[in-house]
Amino acid sequence: MYLTVNGLTKSFGELEVLKDINLTIEKGKVLSIIGPSGSGKTTLLRCLNALEQPNEGTFSFHDSFNLDFSNKIHKRDVLKLRRKSGMVFQSYNLFPHKTALENVTEGPIIVQKGKKEEEQNRAIELLTKVGLKDKANLYPNQLSGGQQQRVGIARALAIKPELMLFDEPTSALDPELIGEVLSVIKDLVKENWTMVVVTHELQFADQVSDEVLFMDEGYIVEQGPPSQVLKEPKEERTKQFLKRILNPA
Amino acid sequence: MFLPSNMLFTIDATMGGWELFKNSLLPMILGGIQYTIPLTLIAFTVGLLFALLLAIMRLSKSAFLRAPSIAIVSAVRGTPLLVQLFIVFYGLPSLDVTIDPFPSAVIAFSINVAAYASEIIRASILSISKGQWEAAYTIGMTQNTALRRIILPQATRVSVPPLSNTFISLVKDTSLASLILVTELFRKAQEIAAVTYDFMLIYIEAAFLYWVVCFLLSLVQQAIETRLERHISS
Repeated sequence: MYLTVNGLTKSFGELEVLKDINLTIEKGKVLSIIGPSGSGKTTLLRCLNALEQPNEGTFSFHDSFNLDFSNKIHKRDVLKLRRKSGMVFQSYNLFPHKTALENVTEGPIIVQKGKKEEEQNRAIELLTKVGLKDKANLYPNQLSGGQQQRVGIARALAIKPELMLFDEPTSALDPELIGEVLSVIKDLVKENWTMVVVTHELQFADQVSDEVLFMDEGYIVEQGPPSQVLKEPKEERTKQFLKRILNPA
Repeated sequence: MFLPSNMLFTIDATMGGWELFKNSLLPMILGGIQYTIPLTLIAFTVGLLFALLLAIMRLSKSAFLRAPSIAIVSAVRGTPLLVQLFIVFYGLPSLDVTIDPFPSAVIAFSINVAAYASEIIRASILSISKGQWEAAYTIGMTQNTALRRIILPQATRVSVPPLSNTFISLVKDTSLASLILVTELFRKAQEIAAVTYDFMLIYIEAAFLYWVVCFLLSLVQQAIETRLERHISS
């Protein structure tokens, strides 16, 4: 067991976005979160590295780092929490004034105070891994969406996280560019990364996930292996959602 | 200063036309080099530093930091620059604080630039998407590091055009310093005009010199903007 989350709630003003979320993330496993827009799945993912601060809830990591969001959380603990996970955004959010290589080295060199030359070599390795070695010195606006997202993945990997978080990593991409990003994520699955993926790509979720979690209106409606949740859902709400996604017309 | 009075010897009341124009150029340009340009550069640099401070205070979550910033900006933007100049130069002596003309001008113009530029910087920082902050946080940055490494470099690009305008306005506004006895370009013009009574010629000449400076600056501005636009986020 890598991370256990208990009793997580999150409101934006009056609006309750997450209601009593409990989940477990196993080491080396892939957890996919699916659900309609507004279901709270992205907010849940963002809570996992405190981009949104939960109102309540406890995080318990296997290495005995515990956080209770019902109390005021110290900045130092927020940084420690973020240090554990790498985040890949729907809209990439690359730093536009830095080259692909600088985007990747920014965390290791500036934040983690790594040796410049060592980290640059490691960044080149990461860019090679995502198939962009020859683009290292280009700026984000010189790259396609798919390439930018792959740099985004390399940037997240560069901080040596224990957990990778993906927030709809292919939603902003042209259809013909989705494949290149998904295949990079599949490579990470083979390397046994612990991952949480918020996605609309049901086929992809089916292929890579160990567990699928269906959310609606701030609740986890159903969770289980993909063969169950995606193929033989028990809950009516899940069935409706899948039907609508699979037969949009 | 020996220079101004020396230069005036080459000008007398009998001169007019082209000869007067030619002979007035040097003293005015010297006034510009000696006072207008240093005043502009110092006030702009000092002003920008305080502007950044005011902008960051204004964006802070703490009301103790926000309130003074809002008050200062409001006071400076809501009062005439000339009045501010007079308060520093003619007003402060009654509190036993006497400051020479040039440093008085530097103080007043710096404060003025700080107030206007802080609003520009604040808007530039706010114009950078929230995603940039978040991306910086997810690679482990603190707020300060994110501001310094990720947000400010991008905000700088956004703020170059409006800050250039502030700078060009400042060049022209320094002519107000003539009223607190700084012998800058326009004060020189007034001195020459007082001897020759050829107001039209001399003041047109002064206007022409300001225009030349501002024209050159606008070329520099364009060059900087072209350079900075290369990798702005789309």
